Amino acid sequence: MHQPNCLLTTWVQENNELVNKWRERQQEGGGLSRDQNRTTCSSEFHKLLRKIQGVPPLADHTRLELSVVYNTCLLSTAQSQFREAELLLTHTLQRALQMTGDDPVTSDLPAFWRTVLKSVRNKALNSCVLRLLCVQWVIWLATCQIKTIHDFKEELSSLVQTLCTGDGDEKRSEGEKEKCTDVPRLVTDPRRLVELLQICTFIAQGAESLSEGQSSEALSGLQKASSLSAPRTLVARVHFLSGSCLAHMSCPQMALQCYMKALETDSCCVCALYQSMLIYRQLGNRQAEIQAMRLLHSTLMLPSATVPALASTQLLSPSLLLCSQSLSSLLSVPSALSVLHNLALTCVLHERVSEGVEYYLDLLAALHSEDQHGVSAEGPPLPRLPELYLEGGAALLMARRSTDCMALCNEVINTTMDLLPERLVMEDPEETSKAETRGVSAAGEDKMAMLLWSGAAYLLQGHCHTHLKDWKQAVTHYTRCINLLVKVRFKKKGLQPQIPSADMVDKQGTDLCILQRLKGLSLAGRGISFTQTDRLREALRDLLLSLQAFPECVGAGLWCGEVLWRLGRRQEAAACWEKTWSFATQSSVEGLPLYLWEPQTGPLLDSTELRCRIQTLGST
Amino acid sequence: MDGRCAVDTWTQFGCTHASFSPRITFGLGTDVFICTGSDEVYVFNTQERKVTAVLQFPAPVSDLSESHDKQLLYVSCGSGVYCVSPPFLLSRAPTSPGDASSRPAELKISSESLVVGEEGVSSLLLVGSVLLILSQRETSWMLSLYKTPTQAQSSSYELLSSFSLPLVSAGTQGDTEGAGMRRRPVLSCVHSDPSSTLSDSHLHLKPVLFKLLFGIDAALAKSPVILFGLPDGRLCFLPLRLPGSRLRVLHSLEQPVVFVGASVVKETDPGHAQCLVAMGEQGRVVLMKAINRGSEGAGCTAGFIEACVPGPVVCGSVDQHHLYYSTGSDLLLLDLSEGIIWGEGQEREEETSSKTPAALQSPTSLNVCGVMALAAPERNTAGGVQLLGLSVRGQLQRIVLPEGRQDVGVSSQTSSHGGRSVRDLLSAIGGVCERVSTLKTTIKSKNQILRHLNQLLNVSFLLTARTNGEEHPPMQEKQIRCRAMTRWSRLLQKDSLNLTCVLDNSGPYVLEQGWTLSVTVFPVSSSPSAGGESSSTNFSFPFHDLHPGETLEVSLPLAAAGDTCFPLRVACSLIFSLSSLLAEEERTHLPDLQSGERREESSGKEESLSTIEVQVDSSSIAAVCGLHHAVLHRIQALLQRAPESAASTKRVQSSGLRRALQRAERLLPQIQQSRISGAFGDGTSTGHMTRSLLAIYQELRENPLLII
Repeated sequence: MHQPNCLLTTWVQENNELVNKWRERQQEGGGLSRDQNRTTCSSEFHKLLRKIQGVPPLADHTRLELSVVYNTCLLSTAQSQFREAELLLTHTLQRALQMTGDDPVTSDLPAFWRTVLKSVRNKALNSCVLRLLCVQWVIWLATCQIKTIHDFKEELSSLVQTLCTGDGDEKRSEGEKEKCTDVPRLVTDPRRLVELLQICTFIAQGAESLSEGQSSEALSGLQKASSLSAPRTLVARVHFLSGSCLAHMSCPQMALQCYMKALETDSCCVCALYQSMLIYRQLGNRQAEIQAMRLLHSTLMLPSATVPALASTQLLSPSLLLCSQSLSSLLSVPSALSVLHNLALTCVLHERVSEGVEYYLDLLAALHSEDQHGVSAEGPPLPRLPELYLEGGAALLMARRSTDCMALCNEVINTTMDLLPERLVMEDPEETSKAETRGVSAAGEDKMAMLLWSGAAYLLQGHCHTHLKDWKQAVTHYTRCINLLVKVRFKKKGLQPQIPSADMVDKQGTDLCILQRLKGLSLAGRGISFTQTDRLREALRDLLLSLQAFPECVGAGLWCGEVLWRLGRRQEAAACWEKTWSFATQSSVEGLPLYLWEPQTGPLLDSTELRCRIQTLGST
Repeated sequence: MDGRCAVDTWTQFGCTHASFSPRITFGLGTDVFICTGSDEVYVFNTQERKVTAVLQFPAPVSDLSESHDKQLLYVSCGSGVYCVSPPFLLSRAPTSPGDASSRPAELKISSESLVVGEEGVSSLLLVGSVLLILSQRETSWMLSLYKTPTQAQSSSYELLSSFSLPLVSAGTQGDTEGAGMRRRPVLSCVHSDPSSTLSDSHLHLKPVLFKLLFGIDAALAKSPVILFGLPDGRLCFLPLRLPGSRLRVLHSLEQPVVFVGASVVKETDPGHAQCLVAMGEQGRVVLMKAINRGSEGAGCTAGFIEACVPGPVVCGSVDQHHLYYSTGSDLLLLDLSEGIIWGEGQEREEETSSKTPAALQSPTSLNVCGVMALAAPERNTAGGVQLLGLSVRGQLQRIVLPEGRQDVGVSSQTSSHGGRSVRDLLSAIGGVCERVSTLKTTIKSKNQILRHLNQLLNVSFLLTARTNGEEHPPMQEKQIRCRAMTRWSRLLQKDSLNLTCVLDNSGPYVLEQGWTLSVTVFPVSSSPSAGGESSSTNFSFPFHDLHPGETLEVSLPLAAAGDTCFPLRVACSLIFSLSSLLAEEERTHLPDLQSGERREESSGKEESLSTIEVQVDSSSIAAVCGLHHAVLHRIQALLQRAPESAASTKRVQSSGLRRALQRAERLLPQIQQSRISGAFGDGTSTGHMTRSLLAIYQELRENPLLII
């Protein structure tokens, strides 16, 4: 009888030494060493457990055995070895129950647990078994079994009750227990663990309900969670999710308040910033939208934003417990570069051109920075680099920095020039499958896209020369653009390739649409340049061709009228103006890249003056 | 071909049968770094033509890469990546003026220089301030990007990002070649920006080709592109500074990639190669170049020209127009500019044509065998091309290509055929030379082993001669023998018994390396064979050559006073363990020594189990007598335990022993008697006492315990 007790003492000591060693090493720091610490300690706990479970179950040993299993399983789950931990749990519980005489044989895990809990109720082992239930909870949460947790609600809440209010020896604080050498120590205080599990469960459940569209249900759960004590980042997440629920329930102002609370709790809660920005955009509050975006960008640039939250000395990190797809999609935030691009574009779109230009330049500088290392981020990808160059160029032109704009366009032209084809046949995208749509070369380079980028660059350069009133250069660049665009033939199924026309454009945003728009804009630009040098016949030809390619072109319509007027065809001129005004109000530039907009920097015609002219025409 | 390559062997390192393929790269100034795949990296100065430093790492070195200023060297081995500064280390290395000129500095690199702890690192590359590490994991290739610290004193290497590519099983022939040696993935960096510095593993490509292969975005961002060739044949790339870039596969050679380089530079476009070359282990060559399909109106497209040359390919290198590669038995040359001309002439061919240009099918033999690694080719002062190679025997060779080599080509079919047959012949001669030299080495080593065995057998015969040599006179001196002496000594007020064994080689043979003198001490109460381990102590003294006439003396503490239960048995064995077959041992037993009084000095000398001579000397005749008696008892006990086979001799020995014992027993009371009478001084004259003692003494002297 003496021998087992002696063994028991040795094993308790071994367990306690392992726990102490783990804690010491955990404090030492270093991400790599923490991982190693976890691995080595886990294997040592497994060794100890093999010794303990090598003898038949003894009543005296059970308490120690269950404590060691608790430690071992927690270390396993921290290494994401959930299946292993779960098997160990059930095996151990079956061993423990063999002594009490019960033998629950069921393959259903929740049913098994219910039997176990029933048979140990009011027994000395109850608290030890409850600890193991905590481990099971960890596994369920980490493997996103929200439904199982929901089904087990009552048992879990009684677990929380028992562990937190104190029962039996649980009344003694962990610190007191540490002092007794005969009590097996634990790697994590079960009460701290339960607190963490509680809030993480609320968060996971909230995210799940929210993604299923049950916002109000999610909100009530989250409200309960907000009163719990928890680490700051988790509390911030509760506020954030509450805000998301409210946003879904069409309460934008209340949602904003929740996001604000989240930010007050944790200033690095970037998802709250991002979502507030989206709400401001939805509310049409441009100032606040831009402000939020600016904050978001600077927060994302902080080194701390990229460090995963709570990479602390804790054994179980919240990121291990909160890994559901629905939650991570709610928390996702675009990359810093993507935010910067959005910020630049939003500024330009909302009459803050000079500010937008600076952001574009920041963006291009960041892309050229040595510190840029292809870090991949979730969220929408950035536009292709040539498109960013062209957008930046267009913004520079809007800010009347034509030389800078030309420099950017030159980059695009020089890069694409030697790759451009002599002829290009564009097939109807409706008729060809996605994979074989375009002539894709080794790196998947798209000849059509290159041609359109190059054309847009020439167009912008034409606009720049127009702005500088260098009409000859303007004509040269517009002509280059036109020459490039006419290389494209459009092929419809069963027909020969032909020059595309405006009536073939049936969808916005397609290559064909962009091609026609570029053609219209460059012809209009050249026509306008011709009018400035009094070459009215050429001007009229170009402006009419422009309207043919792109009938909604306002500049072409107005200037076509002007040329007609100058040529003495006043009735035609009036009709042309009237027609242009009729569609000028409907045409929208939404979704169009900046560089495909009609230029605002060239010579303008005053509509009121034109109307006066029509009136004089009518009165005569 | 007018003339062969001039090959100078500059120095010799260890053989290159190591775990990683060897590598040579140019370092600062005229320095060259050589890793043969062992734990060491050699710094060789090409001007002084000698090894200036040897860097010793804790594990076999898999790859190395230098910083652009050539001040830092990154080396991957075993547990991770080390960063050392060779100029700094050399300036600190202790060099005595005497041997500074002759011996290279040996620098041991400790774990203090470990900068990135990552297991399984295969290849390294430094691009600007970013250290790229390609390592093989269980299921994937992992490319990790680390930011190197800007200040030298800072030591944090921040992980910027990492990319993984799932492993695919290598091609069917992939693992057969060079079993045991791991083929290092080829890691290089491609630039389109001519302002960037060019060094080993950094290639400059013509912008058109760069854009065609790696995309417009990489070109616009002026991003370097990481290109790597894997043992599974895939050639992958990653634009380094492009947001959201992914690893993509450029091409697959379907055989382990041995080499990637850039070649064909035209005078009109200096600094930019028009062609990217990749070479596989079985001889597949892929040339990637921009092909202008102007006539079709398609503009420029990337052309992949594939060819197959006779393999296997061990290593390769390119210069402006030529690809050099070694098959192990020959060094060959391919003229790439001809392949390019072919490519341009075949505009209407399919993009990835399987047709092979003539120039790519007929490599020129340079008749240099055994090259395992090549450094980038250089032009020497005379304008000729010279290559630096590492041979299979670990020799660093300078290979100077013959002048006028460029004129040899495929100008006319017949001359080309003639030239080729001569080349084949020369190459065959080269192959025979190679085989002969390998055979020579094998024969040499076999001879060595045989000589050793012969020596061993001779020694063994000498040792065993006594056991089966009944015809030899027993008193004949053994030619190899072991003497042992014991001595009490007092150190720090503690008495201890020391044993000194002297192995004396007076035979004609050398006891070569591999022999061990083993001394086992154990109490007699426990048998040496069964269950004696509890108290026996074993001492082993391995020794180098013991030439005829030389002796080996070893001393060891037997026991401290009072600790040991006497008597003790000491067994000396001579053990040789080349293998269990050749093991031979001589076992000699020392007689047991039981000291009655501590002052006594006893020494035993013995030669074999069957012949024992015990010398007992002491100033006290009583002690001698007592000891004499005790020895006789021990021998009697020993005889009773002697093996059954020796039963006949045992009987003889026993009777002799019994007589001797009786004699001794008779002497003891005589001594006692004379001592007592001496002490009481009862009338017996001192003269009588002295006489009686002398008689005893004489009897002891004259009846030595010679028992056969």
